[in-house]
Amino acid sequence: MASITLKSFIGLRRQSSPENHHPTITPPTHLHRRRLITLAGKSSPKLSGRNLRVAVIGGGPAGGAAAETLAKGGIETILIERKMDNAKPCGGAIPLCMVGEFDLPLDIIDRRVTKMKMISPSNVAVDIGRTLKPHEYIGMVRREVLDAYLRERAAGAGASIVNGLFVKMDKPIDKYAPYVVHYNEYDGKAGTVGKKVTIEVDAIIGADGANSRVAKQIDAGDYEYAIAFQERIKIPDDKMQYYENLAEMYVGDDVSPDFYGWVFPKCDHVAVGTGTVTHKPDIKKFQLATRLRARDKIQGGKIIRVEAHPIPEHPRPRRLSNRVALVGDAAGYVTKCSGEGIYFAAKSGRMCAEAIVAGSENGTRMVDEADLRNYLREWDKTYWPTYKVLDILQKVFYRSNPAREAFVEMCADEYVQKMTFDSYLYKTVVPGNPLDDLKLAVNTIGSLVRANALRNEMAKI
Amino acid sequence: MTSSMAFLSSTPTKLPSFSPSSKTHFPINPFLSLKPQRYHFASVRAAEIGSGAAVVVEEKKDSEVKAAEEGNGAPVAAEVEEVGVKFEDPKWVSGTWDLKQFQKDGATDWDAVIDAEVKRRKWLEDNPESSNNDFPVVFDTSIIPWWAWMKRFHLPEAELLNGRAAMVGFFMAYFVDSLTGVGLVDQMGNFFCKTLLFVAVAGVLLIRKNEDIDTLKKLIDETTFYDKQWQATWQDEKKE
Repeated sequence: MASITLKSFIGLRRQSSPENHHPTITPPTHLHRRRLITLAGKSSPKLSGRNLRVAVIGGGPAGGAAAETLAKGGIETILIERKMDNAKPCGGAIPLCMVGEFDLPLDIIDRRVTKMKMISPSNVAVDIGRTLKPHEYIGMVRREVLDAYLRERAAGAGASIVNGLFVKMDKPIDKYAPYVVHYNEYDGKAGTVGKKVTIEVDAIIGADGANSRVAKQIDAGDYEYAIAFQERIKIPDDKMQYYENLAEMYVGDDVSPDFYGWVFPKCDHVAVGTGTVTHKPDIKKFQLATRLRARDKIQGGKIIRVEAHPIPEHPRPRRLSNRVALVGDAAGYVTKCSGEGIYFAAKSGRMCAEAIVAGSENGTRMVDEADLRNYLREWDKTYWPTYKVLDILQKVFYRSNPAREAFVEMCADEYVQKMTFDSYLYKTVVPGNPLDDLKLAVNTIGSLVRANALRNEMAKI
Repeated sequence: MTSSMAFLSSTPTKLPSFSPSSKTHFPINPFLSLKPQRYHFASVRAAEIGSGAAVVVEEKKDSEVKAAEEGNGAPVAAEVEEVGVKFEDPKWVSGTWDLKQFQKDGATDWDAVIDAEVKRRKWLEDNPESSNNDFPVVFDTSIIPWWAWMKRFHLPEAELLNGRAAMVGFFMAYFVDSLTGVGLVDQMGNFFCKTLLFVAVAGVLLIRKNEDIDTLKKLIDETTFYDKQWQATWQDEKKE
């Protein structure tokens, strides 16, 4: 059984004094004043002669969605992205609800996955997807295409998109003073150091991803993260036919001790990868094992690209500080079990922007921390059940090989498939029929018991 | 010499941290009950060496031993395409166990099916195989009836636990009686005694090995850890 070491969580957030990251020492009365104001910022002053200014740092799905919602809400928005043509390493899967909620055009989606194959450590293969209706699918996108589209839409709504690298921010000197954002403007010229620019904004949304600088600046703390390692492989056409609308998931100790290996179809090639939290130095070994398990199906393929990226495992200890909020990967909004992040990044960007628009009454009033906390409250309330359920699934089914065998056995059940897809595609945890749930619970326990019994016998050999 | 190189050519040096038994395909392990089957595998395996020569390995007991001896020291020569040995067994037909071959006295010998599946899983854990669409694995452990599992796994453990419970129960009843003079029947009417009984039963069920105490503590922490991580940002609000 994989032993899960629980680091002391308190230690993840560094204790810091105000002097460390701000030249001016905030006077004690500042904190005292803030404690009294915990309601919505109806008492915050009306802005005269200008609209609220917000800087969105990072132009991925989170930043693009946030900038669009802010601009539509009448707020002066600036989006700072360091690499406009960034082809990010990513699984690239988006749920069906994202297409509807974000009005994505269908040509952004390279492939519609309607079938999935789960393969257990002993190569028991189960097909899931029988319960999908004809209009339901998992969309596979290219990140460079999706990110650019969302940014363009934000620009169309009135946000100004700037090609630059965020360097640091100066905290406000008193309660309603602006933040000063320092960035290097590249203006499309690659390889240059860039021109140093400073702007004053009233609020900042940190959407700059897993290695967020904004998070460092507000002392948000660290999170545990997984390493996802992926090879893009161009396989012969007849083999590509098999992956036309099918994705595969391989589970097993050889492939990953705490995650899964995958073969995802992309526009004209497949992405074969795996990930791990606890055994990062062995990632190459896991990748070899994944390729071995998929060998017959990717035979004759050529590796065209190798990439790796971190995946946050849980939210940062601090997701918000005064008028700076984190969204997307910067906040750590990636689900366990499936490692899904694109939809949650875009949704959190949108939700945060909506909270700012509401709190500022369409840009006419100043916002303060309480308004941004509304975003956190709404987010936690809406998506906590999803995250918790996926956490439980990961803890139960990714523990050990017997658990994974049981997992694959359970996936053969139609009820499980229906519940899984419904909750994945529409991002709601729907309590199903209680009788079916009971049957499912009994079957799950049965599978786990059988698999563990076999494992105990294996240890005796 | 070439034939032993053929054995070695499948040695996956790229996978160093697998258990030693997978480094060569012929571990010198006297307890390995898979040995009888290995000869069977050897006869169907053809190892591809990077240099291009394909060698079909013969079913020879002595060449096996030679390979095993040399496997510990000799390095692998060229970059090889890893052709893993596939799991093969006469009773494993079309991706599942052929129950007709497990008949004993007219009924299916479920214990043998369980043993066969255990061996297959152990083999695959040590020698992971590619999943193939032409030969899908469709075996489901639920075809083995519940009473076969009960008889083999649950009953011995149940006997053990009941034995422990009986011993603890008898001793505690005697001990309480000698201290307080309250007989067994009267003990059952007392709330404190009933609580002790509950604790004893729970203890026997949950703590079967010494390690279980730590495991239980870790499990309790685990169930609430994720919640704590999510709540962390709200600690800020309360502080201010």
